[in-house]
Amino acid sequence: MTRADWEKSYVSAESALRDAGVENADLLKLEEVRVRFLGRKGALTDLLKSLKDLSIDDKRELGPKAQSLKASFDALIEARKAALEDQGDAAALQNDAIDLTLPSIRAPKGRLHPLTTTLHEIARIFQLMGYSWAEGPHVEDERHNFTALNIPENHPARDSQDTFYLQDLPLLLRTHTSTVQVRTMESQRPPLRVVCPGRVFRHEQIDATHSAVFGQVEGLVVDENIGLADLKGHLQTFLQKLLGSSTKTRFRPSYFPFTEPSTEVDVKCFFCPGTGCSACKHTGWIEILGAGVVNPAVFKAAGYDETKWSGFAFGIGVERVAMLLHKVPDIRAFYTNDLNFLKQFDESLL
Amino acid sequence: MKVSYNWLKEHLPLELSATELSAHLLKIGFEVAGHERLGPTFTGVVVGKVVSKDKHPNADKLSVCVVDDGAVKRTVVCGAPNVDAGQTVAYARPGAVLPGNFKIEGRKLRGVESQGMICSRSELGLPKDVDGIWIMGEGPALGTDVGSLLGPADDILEVEVTTNRPDCLSHRGLARELAAYFRKELAPLGGGMVESAKASFPIIIDDADACPFYGARLIEGVTVGESPAWLKSKLEAIGLRPINSVVDVTNYVLHDIGQPLHAFDADKLAGSKIIVRRSKAGEKLLALDHKNYDLPEGLLVVADGEKPVALAGVMGGEDTAVTTATTRVLLEGAFFNPAEVRKSSQKTRLRSDSSYRFERGTDPAAPRAAADRAAALILRIAGGSAAKPVEAAAHRREKEPIKTSVGKINSVLGSDFTDLAVKGALGTIGSVNDVNGNGVEFTFNAPTWRHDLFTANDLAEEVGRFLGYDNIPYRMAPMASRTARLTPVETESRLARTKLTALGLWEAYNYDLVSEKTLAACRLPSDAQPRVAHPLSEDWALLRSSLLPGLLKNAQYNLSRGADSVRFFELGKSYSIRGKEVDEVWRVAGIILGPVLDARWQSSRAPRASFYDAKAIIEDLLEKAGAITWVKLSEPAAGKTASDPLFHPANSLRAVVNGKPVATVGWLHPRIARGHDLEREGAIIFDIDLDWLAGREEAPARFKEFSALPVSRRDLALVLDKKTPYARVESVVRACAIEELQDILLFDVYEGKNMPEGKISLAIRLTFGRSDRTLTDPEVARAVETIVAALSKELGASLRG
Repeated sequence: MTRADWEKSYVSAESALRDAGVENADLLKLEEVRVRFLGRKGALTDLLKSLKDLSIDDKRELGPKAQSLKASFDALIEARKAALEDQGDAAALQNDAIDLTLPSIRAPKGRLHPLTTTLHEIARIFQLMGYSWAEGPHVEDERHNFTALNIPENHPARDSQDTFYLQDLPLLLRTHTSTVQVRTMESQRPPLRVVCPGRVFRHEQIDATHSAVFGQVEGLVVDENIGLADLKGHLQTFLQKLLGSSTKTRFRPSYFPFTEPSTEVDVKCFFCPGTGCSACKHTGWIEILGAGVVNPAVFKAAGYDETKWSGFAFGIGVERVAMLLHKVPDIRAFYTNDLNFLKQFDESLL
Repeated sequence: MKVSYNWLKEHLPLELSATELSAHLLKIGFEVAGHERLGPTFTGVVVGKVVSKDKHPNADKLSVCVVDDGAVKRTVVCGAPNVDAGQTVAYARPGAVLPGNFKIEGRKLRGVESQGMICSRSELGLPKDVDGIWIMGEGPALGTDVGSLLGPADDILEVEVTTNRPDCLSHRGLARELAAYFRKELAPLGGGMVESAKASFPIIIDDADACPFYGARLIEGVTVGESPAWLKSKLEAIGLRPINSVVDVTNYVLHDIGQPLHAFDADKLAGSKIIVRRSKAGEKLLALDHKNYDLPEGLLVVADGEKPVALAGVMGGEDTAVTTATTRVLLEGAFFNPAEVRKSSQKTRLRSDSSYRFERGTDPAAPRAAADRAAALILRIAGGSAAKPVEAAAHRREKEPIKTSVGKINSVLGSDFTDLAVKGALGTIGSVNDVNGNGVEFTFNAPTWRHDLFTANDLAEEVGRFLGYDNIPYRMAPMASRTARLTPVETESRLARTKLTALGLWEAYNYDLVSEKTLAACRLPSDAQPRVAHPLSEDWALLRSSLLPGLLKNAQYNLSRGADSVRFFELGKSYSIRGKEVDEVWRVAGIILGPVLDARWQSSRAPRASFYDAKAIIEDLLEKAGAITWVKLSEPAAGKTASDPLFHPANSLRAVVNGKPVATVGWLHPRIARGHDLEREGAIIFDIDLDWLAGREEAPARFKEFSALPVSRRDLALVLDKKTPYARVESVVRACAIEELQDILLFDVYEGKNMPEGKISLAIRLTFGRSDRTLTDPEVARAVETIVAALSKELGASLRG
C-alpha cells in the first residue's frame, strides 16, 4: 500500500467513523460499529495493519496519527457505553424499588423476667461491695428457719411469718432467706460477706400486695467490730446505688428476733416530693427493707464466738423493689406471665 | 393496738399534737399505722332556731331566714330546700371555722346580707343523714356549742407494737415508755380498796411453772348493768363493744394498764373453788365466743370443782360468765406462762386480747394491783363489797442484772455516745449501777414488765432508740479479704438465661406450689409429691415435680388472649420426696410453639417452631457439657425423669451425657395438649437438669489447627428406606474413617412424588480437605466411592438418578 492509498483510507475511515452514529447507538449497534471498525476486517484494523507496508519515515509520521484515531474511537465507544449503562441503571434502580415501609422482621429475642433483672441489679451492687452469692434449700427444718435464728418454739414472733408446714414430714417451706445465714455460718468461717437471694413462702392470702411465694435477698456481714453504723453505711450506699445518689434514707427501730438492735429502713418517697401519695401511704417515706445487728444468740447457735465476732444482716423483698422501680400496682402480675406485661421490661435487650 | 390520745394523756400529760406524737413514736420503734380524729373539726357553730323564713327577692332557690342563737337574731340566706321556720339547726356564726379551714363571714348573697350559715351535717364533717341542712330536734339550749354535743375531740392512733414489747400493749404501758423517752413523770395510779370479810375460795395450782401467780377476789352484792357513759365511750373509742359493767371494767383495765383479768359468776363455779390444772382427755369448753371447744389433753385450764371454766389466759367459759343476773363475782388476776397460753391459743385456734398479751408476756408483778383497780371500779359502778383476795403464788425468780460497759454499747452501735448519755438513757428504763466504782462497767436491772432485756445488744438498742438512730454515723466496714463470687448454679443460671433469651425465649416465673389437678392435667402423679399440711387452697397443695405444668398454663393463657407464638422458659426448682427428706433440683424448662420469626407477611420466612428448633436449644445449652448421646425416650437407656409423662413417647429424645440423662426434648403429649387447648399448636417442650450442668467441671477451650486451603464438596442424593434414621447415615459415613472428611451436612429431605413407595431421599453434602495440601479430584472421587459403597452395603442406599 502506498502512502497516498493509506492516507485515502485514513480519510475515509475517519469520515466513516463520524457517520457511524455512535452517539445514538444502543448496545447492539455499538458492538456492530466496534466490529465494523476494529473487527478482523474492520477499517481501523486494516489501517493499523497496513502501516507495516509503509516506509520507516512514513510509519513514524503516520503511526501516531492512526493510534490517535483509534484512541478517539475507543473513547467514543466507552463514553457511549457508560451513558447507556447510566440510563439502564436509572431504569433498573426504579424497577428495583421495594416497599420500605413494610414492618421490620425481628430475629427472635427473648426477655428476662422483671424479677430477674431486679434481683440481678440488687446482687450486682452488693457484689461490687464485696458480697458473695450464697444459696440454701427452699424446704427447711425448724432449726434453720426458727430456732437457730433465736425464734424459739411457742414464740409469738412466729406469728409474723405464717408458715407452710409439710404433711407427714418434719419440714417446712422457708419463710425467709435468713435460713441461708445459718447455713452459711455452718459451712464457712468468718469473716463473711454474703447475699442470699431466693424464694420464700408465707402462708397468707394472695392479694395485690401479698404473695404466698416471693423473692427475698438476705445479706450477712460478719467481721470484727461491726456495729449499727456499718449497717447504716452499707445499706445507704446500696440504696443510693439502686435508686439514685440523692436518695434519702431513714433508719428507725424495729424488732426481729435474729437481730439486736433491729431497724426498718425507709427511703424518701420518690413518687412525690415528700408531700404524701398512695405509693408512700401518705407518709412521704417508703419502707424498703428490714435489718439489724446480728443477735449474739444467732452466733452462739452457729458455733461462732459471739465475743469475738459481730455483724449485721438485712432482708429485701425483690417484688417490692420491682414494684417500686417499675410502678407495678399488683404483685400477682409477676406470676401471670402475660406477654403484654413481660414485654414492658428488660430494656437492656432491646 | 388502738390508742386514744386523751386516755394516754391521763397517764402522761403531753403538749404535743397527735401527729407530733406519732413522729416521736416512730423514732422509738412504734409505727403509727393509722390516725383517726374523733369529735368536732369545726369551731363557732352553735344551736340556733329558725324564727322565720321568707323567699329571697332575687333568687328562686334561696330563702332568707332569721336565726336566733339565744342572744342575737340574725338574717341568714340559706339554699337548702328543707329549711323551715321553727327548726333547731346548727348555726355557724360569723367567725366560725368549718372543716377544711373554711371561715364563715358576713357577706351579701344576691343583694341580701347573710350573717353566717345554717349547716348540713356534711359541712360539719359528720356522716350525712338527709339532703340539706341538719335538723337537730328539740333539746339543747340555743347558743350551745354544737361541738360540745359531739363528745370530746380525740385522736385514735393505730400503734404497731412489735412482739418484743408487750409491756406497751396498754395506754399506761405506752405512756410509761414515752415518760422514759421524754424523761417525764407518769401520773400516779389512783385507787385504794375497802375490803370486808375474808372469802373462802380455795385456789389450787397444779403446775406452778405454767401459772406462777393466781389471785382471785370475791365481790358480793353487785348489781350488774350497763356501764356509765364515760366507760362506754372509752371502750368504744378504741373499737370495743360494751357488754356489761363488770365485763367492761375488766376490758377497761386490760387496755388501761395491760393486765388481762377475768370475772366469773361465783355462783356458777361448782364446789366454790378454783383449780389451775391441765385439761384431761375429752374435756370441752363452751367459750365466751359461743363456740364449743374440744380441749386437747394437757392445755392449761382454770377449772372449778368439776370442769374447766376457762382456757387459762385465753378465754372464759360462757356457763360461768358474768351476766346482768350475776350478784357474786370472782375476779381473776393471774400471771400465766407465755408459752402455755400460746400453746393453748394455737391448739384451739382461739385468740383474744388476753391471749395476745399473755403469750407475749405480761408483767408478773401486775396482777394484784390490776385486780385491785378493777375491784375498786366494780364497787364504784356496780356496788357490792369486796373480800380480801385469795392468792396462790410460786416464788418469783429475780432477773439477773446485765453487766456491760458504755464502750461495749458504743461498739454494738458504732456510735460515740458519752457515759452520761448512755447511762442517762438506760436509767429512765431500769436501774443502772456502777460496778467497783471504776466507771467502766455497770450493771442494769430491768423492770419486771420488760422481757426483752438480757444482753448488751438489747441495751444498745434501748440506747439507740432513745438517743436516736439518726445520731449513729454512716460507716463502711472495710472490705472483706475475700473476693465476691457466685455459686456454680448462679453462674450456670446466668449463662442459661443469656443463651435462652438470645434464642428468643421469654422468662416466666411460676409458683412452686401447684394443685393436684394441675399435675393430673399433665399426667403427673401427686401421691409421691411433698404436700403442704394446711394449704391456702387446693391450688397450693403440692410442691411441683416439674416446671412444665406452669409453663403450659402460661402458654394457654397467652394463646387464649390472642398471642400466636409462645416461647417461654423458666428456671426453678422441682421437688421430690426421698425418705424423710425433700430433694430439690434446679431445672430449666421451656415451651415453644408458633412462628419462630415475627414475619407473618413473609410467610416463607416464618416457619413454625418444630422439634428441631428445640433440639438446637438443648445443643446450645449443653454445648460445653460433653458429647450428647440422643436416646429415644421410649428406650430403656433413656432412664426416667419426673417430667417424662409430659412428653410424646415416640417424638421425644433424651440427651444422655456420660451415661447420665440430663435433658429431654420433644413434642408435648397429645392428650396433655388437648387438655390445654394446644392440640393444633404443635407445642415443643424441653426440660434440663441445671444442677448437673452447674456441677460439671469445664475445661477452657483449646486451640485446634484449621486449614485455610480450599476444600472439596460433593453432594450425594441417597435413596433409602423411609424408616432409616438419618443418624444411621451419618454413623455409616463416619465409620468409613476417611481422614479427609471434614463435615457432613444434610441439605434436603424428600419423599412423595417420583419416589418409590416406602422410600425417602436424603441429600447430603460431604466436605473434604487437608490442612497441608489441596486434594486432587481422583482422591476425592475415591473417598466418595468408599462412602457410597458403605452406604449401599449397610443401608441399601442407592444414588438418586
